[in-house]
Amino acid sequence: MTTVILLFGVTVLTFSLIQLVPGDSMTASLSETALNDPAVVSAYRDKWGLDEPVTTQYAIYLGNLLQGDLGISRQTSRPVLGDLMTYVPATLEIAIPAMILSVLLGTGIGLYAALRHGRVGDQVVRVGSLLGLSTPPFWLALVTLYVFFYVLGLAPSGGRLSSWITPPPTRTGMLTVDALLAGQWMTWWDAVQHLLLPVAVLTCLTVATLVRFVRSAMLEVLDQDYVRAARAKGLPTATVLRRHVLRAGLVPVITVSGLAFASLLSGTVLVEQIFSWPGVGQYAFRAASGLDLPAVLGVSLFVAVVYTLVNLMVDLLYGVIDPRIRLS
Amino acid sequence: MVRSRTGRVANVTTVMAAVVALAACTAGGGGGGASGGDEGDGGAGENGAASGGTLTVSTSFVINSLDPGQVYEATGALAVHAMYETLVTFSGSDVSTPEPLLAESWEANADSTEFTFNLRDDAVFADGSPVEAEDVVFSINRLNNLSGSPSVTVEGLSASSPEEGVVVVSSDEPNPSVPTILAMPAAGVLNAEIAAENGATDSEDAASEDSATPFLDQTSAGSGPYVLGSFDPASEVVLEANPEYWGEAPGFDRIVIKNVDAQNQKLAIERSPGAEIALDLSGRLLDGLDSSLQTSGAQDTFYFVTLHQDPEVSEVTSNPDFIKALRASMDYEGIAALFGQDALPAAGMVPPAFPGALPDSETKSQDLDAARDHLDASGLEDPSVSLMYPAITYRGVDLGTIATKVQNDAAEAGITIELDPQPIAAFLDAQSAGRVAFRFSPQSLNYPVASSLVNNFAPGQPSAMRSGWSAELASPEMIAAGEAVQEALDPEAQDTAMQEWQRLLDEESPFITLAYNSGVVVATPDLAGVEYSPAGWQVDLRSVRRS
Repeated sequence: MTTVILLFGVTVLTFSLIQLVPGDSMTASLSETALNDPAVVSAYRDKWGLDEPVTTQYAIYLGNLLQGDLGISRQTSRPVLGDLMTYVPATLEIAIPAMILSVLLGTGIGLYAALRHGRVGDQVVRVGSLLGLSTPPFWLALVTLYVFFYVLGLAPSGGRLSSWITPPPTRTGMLTVDALLAGQWMTWWDAVQHLLLPVAVLTCLTVATLVRFVRSAMLEVLDQDYVRAARAKGLPTATVLRRHVLRAGLVPVITVSGLAFASLLSGTVLVEQIFSWPGVGQYAFRAASGLDLPAVLGVSLFVAVVYTLVNLMVDLLYGVIDPRIRLS
Repeated sequence: MVRSRTGRVANVTTVMAAVVALAACTAGGGGGGASGGDEGDGGAGENGAASGGTLTVSTSFVINSLDPGQVYEATGALAVHAMYETLVTFSGSDVSTPEPLLAESWEANADSTEFTFNLRDDAVFADGSPVEAEDVVFSINRLNNLSGSPSVTVEGLSASSPEEGVVVVSSDEPNPSVPTILAMPAAGVLNAEIAAENGATDSEDAASEDSATPFLDQTSAGSGPYVLGSFDPASEVVLEANPEYWGEAPGFDRIVIKNVDAQNQKLAIERSPGAEIALDLSGRLLDGLDSSLQTSGAQDTFYFVTLHQDPEVSEVTSNPDFIKALRASMDYEGIAALFGQDALPAAGMVPPAFPGALPDSETKSQDLDAARDHLDASGLEDPSVSLMYPAITYRGVDLGTIATKVQNDAAEAGITIELDPQPIAAFLDAQSAGRVAFRFSPQSLNYPVASSLVNNFAPGQPSAMRSGWSAELASPEMIAAGEAVQEALDPEAQDTAMQEWQRLLDEESPFITLAYNSGVVVATPDLAGVEYSPAGWQVDLRSVRRS
């Protein structure tokens, strides 16, 4: 029920806010000469129902939404749901590996820094993560592209697949998975190569945040009496870390990881733009630039659903990691 | 135990390092020679590739649809021109002499209100069916009745077929530019039968009843050398060779038009293994470009400021002497230099790529003394005005840089300009509302005929009215000059009239043209037939081949 109220609120808010933006999709969609032609203007307004009162437009949208119809994008002239089904898998394809790598690296490096609190290793990690946090995503993406594609020639320039490769039959929309399912190994390898740079950049950006959270969470746990007691009992360090430190310290880390994952899924516009990656971020940017209301609403709903689902997953993981939460 | 775990970690690390190294070693190398179209299991070879391979075209996408009846953006026009053929066309960078394509000959009546086109009899659509007069009539009338953005170019035109193989296009007004208009990609000829089966109609209510655009965005129905493979408005348009093409076989098996940021186009084409074209490397982006790459361009865009003529909107911009002062204060040479090596300071409104442009000898120059004199004559003391412009980078140039130069030049004459950058949608909306006192923007022609500017910018015409420049405010000479352009049926007479109209425009209009900038095509050295066209499709993909 909360989710339904949240989604309803998102539609009301987005619909209202976009009415306040100066300009409408007509001026963004029609040529200047066409805007001079009353017949063209009238046909456009008619086609997209722009002459209806805003409340009527919203009621129509809501009615269609309840039937699973997110409307037609004014820019692509295709159903918004279909557009999202096309672009979400592309974003998933870079977000999932980036998140997995970020969690593994973030936890490992954060733990390492905590265990070497105040020593050189800790200082290096702290400075490194600070650099990561303060690096603008577009800059990192541009530099990465320049160095690894242009200077070293070690990675492709952008896009999801080389021009001369025919995409595999669409099943999931994730090219690496679809290529595997179709048994097209060279296509799979080409798709993997195209993932490298965007995934690396997203990982760098996310891991910096995670390292700082893991480090401070672990430092707090390492200072607890029960950890000292475990060490005093003579338990091996690895056991102490695995059973007593990591489990307790991971709760706040999971919260941050969840938010970071939702952020990656809901669109990393600049990274997608620089690597010519046709994901949700680029779609959202294009929709917002063109004041494409149905597409903007569709993306907003998608983002709301993503955050809701990720929060749910995070809540479930809390229970797995900390029995006190499960029992309560 | 410890050693064993360490050993496992070492093994895993070694394997991961090997995978990363392998990826690194092969990733960049994938391009080498691969555009030959013979790449492994997923490559073009699977689709029965011939010798042409794949041509990659990188451009920053401006595209909504691949339906000829809806296409007006640059990327759409580029792709549609390769899939749909028109009655006539242009070769290379020339836009003055239409050449036969689906029509083998044509003639106009004495007052240029009726054009008779005789179709060639060997042209066929991609499904093998012949291109007939009914298809042409259907396509032109559908374009007109769809009332979309490109429909305005054929407003007042209608098509009919009095006999097999003949199409007559009638114009409400005398219009010698009809063949040029019909060369535009939007006038591409559809297979009427297939289009109608999928929701297309050429009836007068096509604007509401035609539902073929989603179909035409996924399947082409033209007679061009390429057919549509796939279309994703965010990432790429894939064209495939039309095996049924009636003319010379297309140069490539596939053409992939990719959405790539302009900066990345430069990096990508400099490292390209071949068969690649970049379309957005103009202005400063051309500086330092690898000399082995070939470039082709034409100055086809003008940049101008507009001052509103209604005193209720602005007492400052509506003052004729203020306009003269501002006009004299601009450093046209310096402004053009900001655009890069292919730009020129403005002479008139018509860019040099089109017949009717003013000669170089009439290029404008800065005259600060005259500017101060005009400012004194205006009676305005320390005038200040806000300059609105879209906060975008257009053709490799940040418009904010140009606006700042305008601000500095005006300051030298004692005019204060405050910059007002706006998001593109907000700028277009404000411009459309016609209440912006002072604005700056780029402008291209709707179709490659200079007189089309008169339809928009002559006093009382739509673009002029957005700046409050009504016919009542203009001199009789100005009105007469515009009429002379419209009445001239002979191309040379029209060009002369167009030049005279621009000279008067420079004296009394609220428009100040600052500079011309080029559209540029950059291509790898292994390609032939890559020439920039100011006709709207940028480069004719039909004529691009391996050299």
